[in-house]
Amino acid sequence: MDLGFIAIGAALAIGFAALATGYAQAKIGSAGAGAMAEKPELAGRIILLVAIPETMVILGFAVAAMILLILGQRA
Amino acid sequence: MIVPMTKVRILGHKTCLDSALAVLQELALVQVEPAQESLSLRTMVLDVDRLGQREEARFLLARLDAMLTILPRPDATQPPALSAGPPTVDMKALRAELDEVMPQIQALAQQRDALVHEQVSLPRYRATLIRLLPLTSDLPEFKDYETIALLLDRRYREVLELLDQTLKELVEQKYTIVSAPLDSDTIGALVVFPRAISAEMHGLLGREQVTQVRLPPDMSGMSLQQAVAHIERRLAGVGTEIAAVDGGLRALAQRWRAAWAAAAAALRARLDQLEVISQLAETDYAFVLIGWTPTAALPRLEATLAERIGSQIVVEPLPMTAAERRAAPVLLENAPVVRPFEFFIRLLALPRYGTLDPASLMAFFMPLFFGMMLGDVAYGLLLLGLSLWAARRFRSNATLHDLARFLTLGSGWAVVFGFIYGEFLGTLGHRIGLHPLWLAREDPQAVFSLLLLTIAVGAAHIVLGLLLGVWQAWRSKSQHQLAEHGGLLIGLVAVFLLIAAVAQQLPRGFITPAVALLLVGLALLARAEWPTSMLMGPIEVLSTIGNILSYLRIAAIGLASVYLARVANDMAGTVGSLWLGLIIAALFHALNLVMGAFSPSIHALRLHYVEFFGKFYEEGGRAFSPFGRPTETA
Repeated sequence: MDLGFIAIGAALAIGFAALATGYAQAKIGSAGAGAMAEKPELAGRIILLVAIPETMVILGFAVAAMILLILGQRA
Repeated sequence: MIVPMTKVRILGHKTCLDSALAVLQELALVQVEPAQESLSLRTMVLDVDRLGQREEARFLLARLDAMLTILPRPDATQPPALSAGPPTVDMKALRAELDEVMPQIQALAQQRDALVHEQVSLPRYRATLIRLLPLTSDLPEFKDYETIALLLDRRYREVLELLDQTLKELVEQKYTIVSAPLDSDTIGALVVFPRAISAEMHGLLGREQVTQVRLPPDMSGMSLQQAVAHIERRLAGVGTEIAAVDGGLRALAQRWRAAWAAAAAALRARLDQLEVISQLAETDYAFVLIGWTPTAALPRLEATLAERIGSQIVVEPLPMTAAERRAAPVLLENAPVVRPFEFFIRLLALPRYGTLDPASLMAFFMPLFFGMMLGDVAYGLLLLGLSLWAARRFRSNATLHDLARFLTLGSGWAVVFGFIYGEFLGTLGHRIGLHPLWLAREDPQAVFSLLLLTIAVGAAHIVLGLLLGVWQAWRSKSQHQLAEHGGLLIGLVAVFLLIAAVAQQLPRGFITPAVALLLVGLALLARAEWPTSMLMGPIEVLSTIGNILSYLRIAAIGLASVYLARVANDMAGTVGSLWLGLIIAALFHALNLVMGAFSPSIHALRLHYVEFFGKFYEEGGRAFSPFGRPTETA
């Protein structure tokens, strides 16, 4: 398989996951900042909420790494 | 560790209530709970004498606080004295003192405010008047004539024409208007007109919203030159007058501040005592206080009350019901090296009493994950130095001090992993002869091993979390939690075996037992939350595998750091100039270092909050808040 396509596939895997994570974190982060201004004691809980969507980009990273490591060796 | 608590009942004769509350306040060992919730006695109410005391104390405290705000603080080099306990205060004598001294202080404060106002406002008047002075040379001086100074925005200069027209109608030729631009935006104008039409003129200026230069009352009737000279004289003297007033206030502060601060502390303490009375229960002759105290402090509490109050008071430890145990307050006590991690626990929520305090585990795993992510000898050493400095510098700021101590531990691990990865400012390590002890992260061949390592670390961490969950469920005799955590643990082990067998790391004969084990795990999960868990059980197992994959971030963050360091080194080598190369490399490495301190901290924290704590942590504890604290007296 063409190495270029493999690289594009890996980039799409992590790129779209990162966009989705960024979108979710922007929504949660802005609401969280507002909540924290009212109740600073919620800081820990808000960090937790902001951190949850990061799983998407990590899974995207895992898929990208698998594409590169498995398909890249075959190419 | 969560400090073991004992529920206590303190019974005493009503005659010793005040002294008992004073001792309890001084000891600060008992968190008082509303007694009427657990006893079928009547709630204690303040008698007329105590109600009067409370009102008088509030009144005096308000006045004392106002005076302490005005009186200057003593020399900052002298630390405030801490008393063993709040002293008593004679409210009658204090009221007499305040009645006598307060008017002096208030008068000095008002005088100072007026002088400071002069000091601030006079230079503004002077600046305006000096700009208007050149206009006065064109003005005749007549008796029975009034002169007003105006400042006009250039955009509204037609107001001058309106003034001219109005004056012409009122007094024909008996007026003069002189105007000149003062700066790019403002026009200054002086208007001289007969005093007889003063009211009409001021009315017109008010309607047109023209800014009139109004001099302070003590300068009314003065000409501009006289006013400027007066302002110069005042400005020369006002500083000395302020210094004299400050001297007076300092003398009063020297005499009264310490005593009044102590009195305010004593009044606050007394008010706290009176407030807590509403949480007690009473009989005709006795009071009953229900509270929580650290079990280790119980002998000290008993001994001190017996010694100071005598046989009129009794402390009884009470047996705890399961519900009371869940509601007990939480006090964390850990070794100094673990204490900074209590901050991260409080940031989320305190653990419920009777559950596990994860601070010790965080103290090991959080810096370890940080080190695994950063993993660079040079970055680690730099951060170690910075964090040691910050820990000393911010000793008085608990939050920054705790963060600095976490970074100290984390950067220590970063140095260790720097040797393991063979990294010194990223790829520079190999060039200067630093060889990896185990795994070169930037080597593409090693990436797979790195990913497997982080997944293995994640699996171990999650399994530990589940084991703690099982242990906690066993201790609390919760069958539901035992089935949930146990089922998840068994299901996870089964998935590991299945993957290993499919990947031919284990004999294929393991597949059947692994599937059987998975079914056992799912059955246990189904038992935990029947019937929803029929569906939720498999999702829980999959979600836990997702939790383990989340530890891949350790590799991802680390790789990002290595490649940024590599970019810094490669770019520095390609620019052709040694100094420019060094500057570019320093900038990139500084950026990487800042990100290297921030990003791994956040991600290590997240791995604990979301992945690890989710397996066993039970939040919902309320902080132990004992009645009474050491009191600052000066």
